[in-house]
Parts: sequence; structure tokens; C-alpha cells
Amino acid sequence: MSDTRRMLAEMADPLFAELGFASTDSDWSRLDELGLPLLLVPEADGGFGGDHVDALTVFRLAGFHALGLPLVDRIVASRAEEGTEAHFHFGAFARTAQIAGALDAALAMSVAYVNERQQFGRPLGKFQAVQQELATFACEAAAANCAAMGAAEALDRGDAGFEIAAAKLRANRAASEGARIAHQVHGAIGFTQEYPLHQFTGRLRQWRSDFGGDAYWSKELGESVIERGADAFWPDLTARTD
Amino acid sequence: MQTFVTEAVDWPESAPELRARVRALVAEHGERDPVRRANCWTKADPEFSRRLGEAGLLGMTWPKEYGGHERSQLERYVVIEELLAAGAPVGAHWIADRQSGPLLLRLGNDELKERWVPGMARGEVFACIGLSEPNSGSDLASVRTSARRDGNEWVINGQKVWTTGAHWSHFMIALIRSEAGSERQQGLSQFVIPMDAPGVSIKPIIDLTGAHEFNEVFFEDVRLPASALLGEEGQGWRQATAELSLERSGPERYLSSMVLFLELVRHAEKDQESSVRDLVGRLASDAWTLRLMSASVAAKLARGEDHALEATMVKDLGNAYEQAIPELVQGAIEMDLSSDELLASVTAYLLQVAPSFSLRGGTREILKGIIARGLGLR
Ligand SMILES: Cc1cc2nc3c(=O)[nH]c(=O)nc-3n(C[C@H](O)[C@H](O)[C@H](O)COP(=O)(O)OP(=O)(O)OC[C@H]3O[C@@H](n4cnc5c(N)ncnc54)[C@H](O)[C@@H]3O)c2cc1C
Repeated sequence: MSDTRRMLAEMADPLFAELGFASTDSDWSRLDELGLPLLLVPEADGGFGGDHVDALTVFRLAGFHALGLPLVDRIVASRAEEGTEAHFHFGAFARTAQIAGALDAALAMSVAYVNERQQFGRPLGKFQAVQQELATFACEAAAANCAAMGAAEALDRGDAGFEIAAAKLRANRAASEGARIAHQVHGAIGFTQEYPLHQFTGRLRQWRSDFGGDAYWSKELGESVIERGADAFWPDLTARTD
Repeated sequence: MQTFVTEAVDWPESAPELRARVRALVAEHGERDPVRRANCWTKADPEFSRRLGEAGLLGMTWPKEYGGHERSQLERYVVIEELLAAGAPVGAHWIADRQSGPLLLRLGNDELKERWVPGMARGEVFACIGLSEPNSGSDLASVRTSARRDGNEWVINGQKVWTTGAHWSHFMIALIRSEAGSERQQGLSQFVIPMDAPGVSIKPIIDLTGAHEFNEVFFEDVRLPASALLGEEGQGWRQATAELSLERSGPERYLSSMVLFLELVRHAEKDQESSVRDLVGRLASDAWTLRLMSASVAAKLARGEDHALEATMVKDLGNAYEQAIPELVQGAIEMDLSSDELLASVTAYLLQVAPSFSLRGGTREILKGIIARGLGLR
């Protein structure tokens, strides 16, 4: 991680944690102070001049803390005009990163909960069925994080149509599986308004549909792969990173 | 919590040139039969392995002193993902190149290294893995095959099972109880056993497809010199665990059904049904993600960092993916599995072998247990 990126993360992380999902309009000034809404605006124009991996870092943290203020959408809007294809694609990338962050948070919450909650005289986390579900969850969260990173790198390289489609679709599927497991291991407490799990799972549900759901992206991606043909698939895939 | 640290992968500059070389070699000498291109890393073709050795594509990261080529881990990664994606018959040398060679180089004495490593780099010497026994599958720490010291020699007795390629291999690296009366992880050592040593016998096991890939291997008073001990006496468990992370970390753990995915795309080129198109999209998204994950494990290995947990996660996800492909294809397309039509015959073959994907190299349940421990459960 570069130094500026680490700095960015070290600024955003505690602030988002503090603001959390209950943040209100009066908190915008806190984000403005750090220049976060101008994350992707070039330095020459008075912005932060971040690249796409910087964007990933901020979007992911916003997801991780279920940040209530629509900072991410504001950054997306600073990049491209609403209603354009560029806006839609960039929005899909942003949601991928948010999903990755929210999955990591819900996973951490689930692990902490099953280590704490006792039934049958031991922590739930000692039961193999619970362990295996959480291992599945961890793999899904990992996949969403890798997908978000892959899309960010592709954006930094230039054309990222393929990667954004692949990443959003993968993250969508992880969002659904992760939310399912998080609720299952929490039992009834996770079904209450008071307990914060729904702050994450509710967002995961919403973000899965935002900027292209599974049906949309599998159609897009399927069409583009089929159009290029079977023999082009692997050479295309590797050429995109070489 | 971020369990899987995603770092950018620095793909080597030589990647395009390496890919071109592998593609040319596979086009000329690879496997033509699409069914045999599926799950290709169990298909042995010693002639193909020798050609790879000749082309400098085996033992790529090993020292030149032992016939290696001192290339980077990621350069090797590029070569193996090309071979797998093309369905090349790499089974004969796969284990030697992936784990036995690196293990010997890391832990072996000079005699062992000189005897075995250069031949492996030439693609002429092959190896097999001696872990499982009839009563030790997932519970590997219960192995009972024994090594007893007799003067300057070791005497081996017992049995290994499910040994892939024992019949085409020149030696086995085996996990053996070298301290009588020891329990579990204690008292185990690794030994290098030539398959032609007196007292070693191999009995084929025919798998459910009718193929002969794995075997039973029996040891009856097999006498080995002191130099056959690999690494440290009593450290076999730790060494074997490190070996397993090499065994689990590669792209073969998600690419076994790539041939079928490509056949699915070929089918879709003619038949634009929306369910098939959507399936292509979903599987392409998975392939792209898994490739990134797998490469980032290789990058971690290249940096010399502990990659065992990430490797386990990629294997688990990858196995689920390669296992799902034939099921999903069968569900999406009407076909007669017994016909010799291409898509049907590749699907039929992979449906048969797919159950093994989440068994070999550590079962799904064992992998998830390792991941759970990494999460701080258990
Ligand atoms: C194609 C193929 C090639 C192979 N090649 C080799 C080789 O070259 N060398 C070698 O040494 N071995 C090889 N193996 C063996 C492989 O490593 C074992 O099959 C594997 O470790 C599982 O052992 P087992 O088959 O005895 O199953 P078991 O351990 O008996 O397990 C049976 C089932 O029970 C589950 N189970 C077991 N313990 C637990 C637990 N604690 N909690 C939850 N579930 C559990 C398992 O996950 C599995 O689903 C190969 C296997 C296959 C299929």
C-alpha cells in the first residue's frame, strides 16, 4: 500500500467509524474537511487527485462502517454525469467495493458473536456446522474483495468494462450468501431493530440490485464473452493483465 | 476483518512471451481429445513432460546448479496457468514440479538433490505423494507406516494408498512414523523412497471412470540409506504441512473444468438461449475472480510470505467452481450424455470425476476447518 493511500485509510477509517450509519447532513462538514467528496477530482482542480485504488479504499471503508451519508454516491457523481453509461459503470464499481466492506464487517460481527454466545455449554463457534458456514462466508467476502481490487486496477489501466461486469456480478452473489449466513448464525437477535446486523445486511440487499443486478450483469458479460468466442476467452483474459 | 489481503499482482514483463511459447508448444504437442483435456493435470504424457523440460519450462524457479532456470514464481505461474487452461497433459511431472522439487531443494541433503532434482527439471524424473493410508485420510496425523533405524539404514514397513502416479513415478516423498510408540504429530519424518527399491510394490486402483491414476503402495522391509531422510528427523508433520500449502495453492484448483466452460461458450456461439448466455456470464465472472485470487496467492508465495490460509480459501472456492461447471452445464442444456457429441462427452466425463475435486489435496470439510481456525474459531 502506498503512503498516501495508507494515510487516506487512516483518516477515513476512524471518521467513518465515528459517524457510522446514524450520520446526518450536519456531518458533511467533517467529510469536507478531509476533502473526501473531492477524492477523484484532480489536484490541479483543487481535489485530492486519488486513483481508483484510493477510491476502492474509501468505498470499501464506507461499506465496512455502513456510513449513513451518501459520500460514495457523491464521489461517483463527481466522476460522471448521472444517466450516462460511465456513471452506471462507475457506480457498479463503487457498490462492489461497498459490498466487499460490508461483508467483512458482517463477517467480523458474526465471528465475534459466535465466540461469545453460549449454547449447550459452549460457544457456538465451537460447533463444526457453524464453523463451516462461517468459512464459506469468509471465502465469499474474500472473493468480493478481490473482485473489487481487480476492477480498481483495471480502471487504473483504462478500459474496465469486462472487469466491472465480472466484479459486480461476483460481489452480488457474495452479498446474498454472506447476508444469509450472517443472519443464520446470529439467531433471533440479528432479526431485531436494535441489533446493528441489519444495517449491513439491508445495505447488502440494496447494493446487490443497485447499478445492475445479477441478471443484468450476467447478460452483459455472457453476451460479450460469446461474441468474442470460445477461442478468445483465455487469451483475452490474460491479455487484460499482461 | 479482512481475511484475504488483496495486493496488486505484478505480472512479469516476460508474460506475453512465455504465454506465446507455451501456446505454440501445446498446439504442436498437446492433447487433441477434448475429453482428455479436461482435468488435465492427472493425465500423464512423459513425452510431453520431456518436451517441457527441454523448453526450460520445468523447475523454472529452481537454481541453475540443479538444472533449474532461476525464473520468478510469477513467471512459473504464467506457464502453469497456460498449460492448464489449454488442457495440456501435464500429469506425469505435475507433482514433481509443484511440490517434490521445491521440498527437496529446501530440505534435502546434497546427495538427494543431486540424485533427483536435475532429472525433474528435464521432465524425465517424476514423483508421487505418500501421505494417505488406509486408516489415515483426513486424519493424517494418525499415519502408521513405520521407519526403524538399523545401523546406518532405515527399514520401512507399511502401506500408502490413493497414490496418484505411483506407477509412473521414480520416487515418493512419504510421511512416516520414525519413532516407535510416538503419537499423532510427534515422531513423524519424511523419507525419499525410490519406487524401484527392493520391497516396494505397487498395486493399481481403477477409478470409477475406468482409469488407472492412483494406487496402493506397499513397503515390506524396504532398506534405505541414512541419506533418504528428508529434512529433520521428527519434523515430518511440520514439513508435510508446508508441502500441503504448495499442493493447495496452484491454479489447478480452479481450472480442472475450464475445457467444458470453453465448450459451453462454443455451444452458445450457435445457440443464443438466454439461460445459457447468463450461465456463461456467471461462470466468466467466477473464472476472472478466481484467477485474480489464485494469482495473488502466487504473488504472496513469491514474496516469501505465509500463504497457507489464502491458498486454502482459493482451493475451497476453486473446487466448488470446477465442480459446479458440469452440473450447471447439464442443467442448462438438453443433451444425451452417452452420445459422442463433444459437449456431451466432456460434460459426462467431468460429471463423473468432479466429486474428486473436493476430496483430493484435502477435503472441503477439512479446508473449511482450516479457514475457521484462521478466523479465530475452534
Ligand atoms: C483423485 C484422488 C487422488 C488422490 N491422490 C493422492 C495422492 O497422490 N497421495 C495421497 O497421499 N493421497 C491422495 N488422495 C487421498 C486424499 O488426500 C484423501 O482422499 C483425503 O485426504 C480424504 O481422506 P479419505 O478419502 O480417507 O476420506 P475420510 O477422511 O474418511 O473422509 C470422508 C468424509 O468425511 C469427512 N470428514 C473426515 N473427517 C472429518 C472431520 N473431522 N470433520 C468433518 N468431516 C470430516 C471428509 O471431509 C469426507 O467428506 C487422493 C484422493 C483422490 C480422490
